Amino acid sequence: MVIGGAAMGLQGSAHLTRDIDFCYARTAKNMERLAKALEPFHPVLRGAPPDLPFRFDVKTIGNGLNFTLSTDLGDLGFLGEVSGLGSFQEVLAASDVRNVGGVDCRVLSLEGLIKSKTAAGRPRDLYVLPELRALSELKRKTGLD
Amino acid sequence: MTRDQEKAALDLVTNPPPGSELAKAKEFGVDLTLFISSLRRTPTERARSLSEGARIFQIAKQTQLDEK
Repeated sequence: MVIGGAAMGLQGSAHLTRDIDFCYARTAKNMERLAKALEPFHPVLRGAPPDLPFRFDVKTIGNGLNFTLSTDLGDLGFLGEVSGLGSFQEVLAASDVRNVGGVDCRVLSLEGLIKSKTAAGRPRDLYVLPELRALSELKRKTGLD
Repeated sequence: MTRDQEKAALDLVTNPPPGSELAKAKEFGVDLTLFISSLRRTPTERARSLSEGARIFQIAKQTQLDEK
């Protein structure tokens, strides 16, 4: 499920982001699918020394929670939990389906983004709240999506 | 976006009701007009625009190369 700045962009915000963050389900099957899907794109830990041994496999995912990666597809983040919302099932309940390039994707809703940014509480999160609240109000008043 | 929706959205972003979230965001410095161009796009087009900003640099670089 798409979260963070990319979700903001997909929901209509003018916010720019360089990485794409996802919330993932921490079931054994899903962690296996995630590791297999990313393997061809050479994921490495972002900001880690290049000689640091790292393998984004089921064991690594199971032993960790949140991963910020550099891959051949660009910078990607995978979070097992989202501030203010919780784990995948709670985040799922706060998501919308958006068709992106012919694929139905789960994207964190504006309300979910507002809740998570408020809970995260860092200056960079609080900074985007006025825009998210205004966008939510505009959509509510006009019926736009 | 229908014509009525666009008119309503334009009215709201150009003259946000006092005390509204739109008014607060405008005062905070958010360019509300960007909502209009963004909401005109489909999610697919919005996804594309996430990386489109970088194209201006490619275009500038190509222009420089073409001029040499």
